[in-house]
Amino acid sequence: MLITKVKTKEELLPVLSGRVLVIPCLGCSQSYFPVEEFNSLKDELKSSGANLASEVTFDYMCREDFTERRLEIYREQLEAADTVLIFSCGVGIQTFAGLIPGKKIVSGSDTFYVPGFPGFTPSEHDCEQCGECRMGLTFGICPVTACSKGLLNGQCGGAKDGKCEVDKNMACGWQRIFERMNALKGSDKALKEGVQIRDYKKSSL
Amino acid sequence: MKLTDLTRLGKFVVTSEVGPPKGINLDKMLHEAEYIRGRVAAINVTDNQSSVMRMGGLAACKVLKDKGFEPVFQITCRDRNRLALQADLLSAAMFGIENLLLLTGDHIVLGDHKDAKPVFDLDSVSLAHCVKRLEEGFDLAGNKLDGEAPKFCKGAVVSPCAEPLDPQLFKMEKKIKAGVEFFQTQAVYEPEKFEKFMKRVKEFGVPVYVGIVVLKTVGMAKFMNENVAGIHVPDSLIEELKKDKEKTKSGQTGVEISARLIKDMKNMCQGVHMMPLGWDDKVPKILEMAGV
Amino acid sequence: MIKDGKKGMLKEDFTKYKLKPAKELKELVSGKENILVLSCNKCFKEFVSIAEPEYQEAAEIVKSAGKTVSGYIPVDYLCNQYLTEKILNKYKNEIENSGAVLVIACGLGIQTVSQLVNKQVLPAADSVWQNGFHGVTLSAEKCGACGECFLTSTGGICPVVDCSKGLVNGPCGGAKNGKCEVGKHRECAWELIYNRLEKQGRTKNFIDETPKLRNYRRNNFKLVDEYVKLIRAKRSEGFYGGLYPVELKELTFDIPIEVFPEQDIVIIPLSQHAGLACEPLVKKGDKVKKGQKIGETAKSPITAPVHSSVSGEVIEIAPKKHAVLSAPVLSVVIKSDRKQELDVSVKPAGTVDSLAKEKIAEIIKDKGIVGMGGAGFPTAVKLKSPKPVDTVLINGCECEPLLNADYRVMLERPEELILGLRLIMKAAGVLKGIIAVEDNKPAAAEKLKALLTGDSSITVETVKTKYPQGAERMLIKRVLKRDVPLGGLPLDVGVIVNNVGTAYAVWDAVYNGMPLIRRVLTVSGETVPKKGNFEVLVGTQLKEIVKFCGISLRSDEVLKTGGPMMGVIQQDLEAPVIKGTSGIVVVKKHDIVESGPDCIKCGRCVEVCPMELKPTFYVLLAKQGKYAEMENHGVLNCIECGCCDNICAAKSSIVEIIKQAKKTIREKKK
Repeated sequence: MLITKVKTKEELLPVLSGRVLVIPCLGCSQSYFPVEEFNSLKDELKSSGANLASEVTFDYMCREDFTERRLEIYREQLEAADTVLIFSCGVGIQTFAGLIPGKKIVSGSDTFYVPGFPGFTPSEHDCEQCGECRMGLTFGICPVTACSKGLLNGQCGGAKDGKCEVDKNMACGWQRIFERMNALKGSDKALKEGVQIRDYKKSSL
Repeated sequence: MKLTDLTRLGKFVVTSEVGPPKGINLDKMLHEAEYIRGRVAAINVTDNQSSVMRMGGLAACKVLKDKGFEPVFQITCRDRNRLALQADLLSAAMFGIENLLLLTGDHIVLGDHKDAKPVFDLDSVSLAHCVKRLEEGFDLAGNKLDGEAPKFCKGAVVSPCAEPLDPQLFKMEKKIKAGVEFFQTQAVYEPEKFEKFMKRVKEFGVPVYVGIVVLKTVGMAKFMNENVAGIHVPDSLIEELKKDKEKTKSGQTGVEISARLIKDMKNMCQGVHMMPLGWDDKVPKILEMAGV
Repeated sequence: MIKDGKKGMLKEDFTKYKLKPAKELKELVSGKENILVLSCNKCFKEFVSIAEPEYQEAAEIVKSAGKTVSGYIPVDYLCNQYLTEKILNKYKNEIENSGAVLVIACGLGIQTVSQLVNKQVLPAADSVWQNGFHGVTLSAEKCGACGECFLTSTGGICPVVDCSKGLVNGPCGGAKNGKCEVGKHRECAWELIYNRLEKQGRTKNFIDETPKLRNYRRNNFKLVDEYVKLIRAKRSEGFYGGLYPVELKELTFDIPIEVFPEQDIVIIPLSQHAGLACEPLVKKGDKVKKGQKIGETAKSPITAPVHSSVSGEVIEIAPKKHAVLSAPVLSVVIKSDRKQELDVSVKPAGTVDSLAKEKIAEIIKDKGIVGMGGAGFPTAVKLKSPKPVDTVLINGCECEPLLNADYRVMLERPEELILGLRLIMKAAGVLKGIIAVEDNKPAAAEKLKALLTGDSSITVETVKTKYPQGAERMLIKRVLKRDVPLGGLPLDVGVIVNNVGTAYAVWDAVYNGMPLIRRVLTVSGETVPKKGNFEVLVGTQLKEIVKFCGISLRSDEVLKTGGPMMGVIQQDLEAPVIKGTSGIVVVKKHDIVESGPDCIKCGRCVEVCPMELKPTFYVLLAKQGKYAEMENHGVLNCIECGCCDNICAAKSSIVEIIKQAKKTIREKKK
């Protein structure tokens, strides 16, 4: 699940040259698309002199064959544009740019990571795909994602009132692990054995 | 001298700490250290304390060592991956620095470079394990070290007044298994809680040096209660600070409270670790009043 | 970036997890007895089988460790907490009696289960790492979701994900022959970026840019937490699933109801309702009056008579095109004499106070009143509930995009609507009436509320807009918090639901004696020249309305009767408007993409299905011809609301597949 936020006028104005074709991708709009921010950004850009010549809508821009088809449908608008301003997640923008590598594209939005895998409703749980699931030790709570530091060997000293030092609204992952352990009347024996060190090879390249 | 050797000799270990400057002028830090010369067994040098960028602790440790102080090299996992950590550990050994304090480190967002990438490749436990491996003559990847292996005295931290305490005790035990030999604690203001804590950790058989942060103002006490993990300043102490504003302002109240706390707790543990936060000049007085 | 040259699917594996090695699994289950296994079927893959292929392997390993597998529960989309909880509730005893729960799933599934069961959960799998996110359609491109998109200055190639070091200011010195130093399988992203910028003549621009620093704080807890809460709240608002389609209500929102001119010819199908078709009461050459009954049947109680909407002459009785049914339907064709002479039966019967309960019910039956939201269920049948009913709910949601017919009736004819509701309440012997209006129609809600001040028997409930709120089951859940059982009816929870148009027609039937021969419908669509809300005579051919409104379809558009979501595509405009025709809309064609798989198992349809079904299964099972299995998976409960179709990332026509399957299943039963 990815979330986008529109960039600021200040960031975009210097890179918008000539006739601009605006393309929002609405494939994931049922989860989130910043409609109001998108509309007001366009107004701001126009009033600052950007030539937003036309606008066409895509969905699931990330899928190459859909995007290719739309490129045919909107060939006229594309050919007339000097710059294409795209509001999509990074996957969509790259797919688009890859299909017409000669065209200058400008990314209108920043993509943010939200827990849960793409396609689903954002989740209160997260999985970093570390490739070495340790939740058998940690009573089904993930220390990699539930702890802001991803600590594998226990709590740091930063938790206060059960909350993490990075944000008072974030529960301390390790405290949750202990609470769950107590609720299940489990033992920390297995957790105590050995030192856990991440193998980053399992999640890279 | 290793701190644990002192404990083994039956000595009550007193340590304090200084922070390297944001810059390259060490005068102030050295000045602070001079106040406590001869009164402490060793001086901790913080590592980008509170995630605020400073001069590196290793250089500061080396300077202190050259001036005849015994430094404790604090090393966190926030800013270095396992390569950089091991490299710095070997550098420290080369400089003859023996005492280490191994920490996970505050999160990046608490400091002054909030945009930076938090590392946390290792944590305090795996860092201790890593040091142990170096002492055994191997790096973390299992490669043999050339020549003589370094030898350290490995310390770590614990919060005796954390709520809940069990996860802290769990971690403490894990740290000990990973090779940690002594503990300096988060600031303690509640001797009765500390007593309970010490009863529970007695079986671990490692020395614990109780942490003391001198209370400067009512505001500071309240702020710590609100924001600092593992610290609770009881209302009675806050009242005491409120009672005589002039006395508090001059630092006298803070000194009295600190000395009393040490007196109350010195028989429960093996040492005291002072965190004067700039009030280094008051440390000798506190120690004198506490009788250590 | 590794493509196999074909468009669409990639060789790359998007699988989310793999089973842990046997040794590790055995260690995991040591000391545990009676192991209950839960599995999820991986997502993001070409969907070929519902069963989780790794279960057998896992079970063998557990057994070889000398442990007993006490049970196996396959639950697809384990991370969907709402649905998973419902399924696990059915297995309370199995879970309670197990020693531990072994979960074959990615980290999300494992955490979801841990939260739901009071047992230690053992992860049987490791998630498979993906370098960034591949979007919802299995793209070769990946996004690192860094929160500070660099693609503008790098020609649309991502330096964060595609460069092994995530460098943002140019290449390092490690590339050789265009390949990255970490491995020859990996192209040097910066070489690709350079080439693209060179092609666009933009390398100089890049050199002139100030050095970039990554800001790792942009994805912070607060921001992410707020989004998660916002989106999740929206998803589960009022009822599970559903969508927020672009409504475009404004196109006809403020256009008052206009009477559509009577045409020369009307075609009255003898079946415009759920239930048995009518038999004609007239023959070719007969003169008929407006409002005269021209068809009915006594062979079934579930039926509704039909009436002539004009005065004139019957010129043909023959099977004719129907707007909803695919086969031609026996219809009465009448040539209007333009005199609009009323039948003798068309006269006021009395008032809500003067008429007895039974009499009102009789009028409703006699005047051919049916549900006007689309399904056309005879209203009189609903009134004779064998179960106790306490509430009549008027559905004023009109959750379909574009449509405003009900809204205009609520706004322009509120007194009549309220009287219609009172009549229904009296006929059903119910004391409580509710009119539910979506919050995008505040004027209608205000108007109705003003008319109802001091009346506690009828309340107006404003509900947050969400599709398909107008579906009975969802509306009842939202307004009354009652759950209609799957396969059940509103009557099962003591509710009668009627559409706004229906309530108005009831008023018309009682107070004017007019049978259901006219209705308000919306003609809309972005390219429709004369849009509006028209009161149209039943039997008016679609082609007349198309002509009147100046509609000419573009190549990428279709015309539907009903709304954009649930409406029926009309190829041939000969068919007439019937009692259930709520709109005539021009919308964009559903994208048809031949390449690529029918389902990539993204799970979006499962997230939006308000009936809590798994539409993705039907796509697979229909292809395999497994109709019995489809029925087991509840396909007959589908209300064809179109949410799955609308959101499908593979652009499968899921509703069409379901409709065909239902037809096949029903035919087999006959």
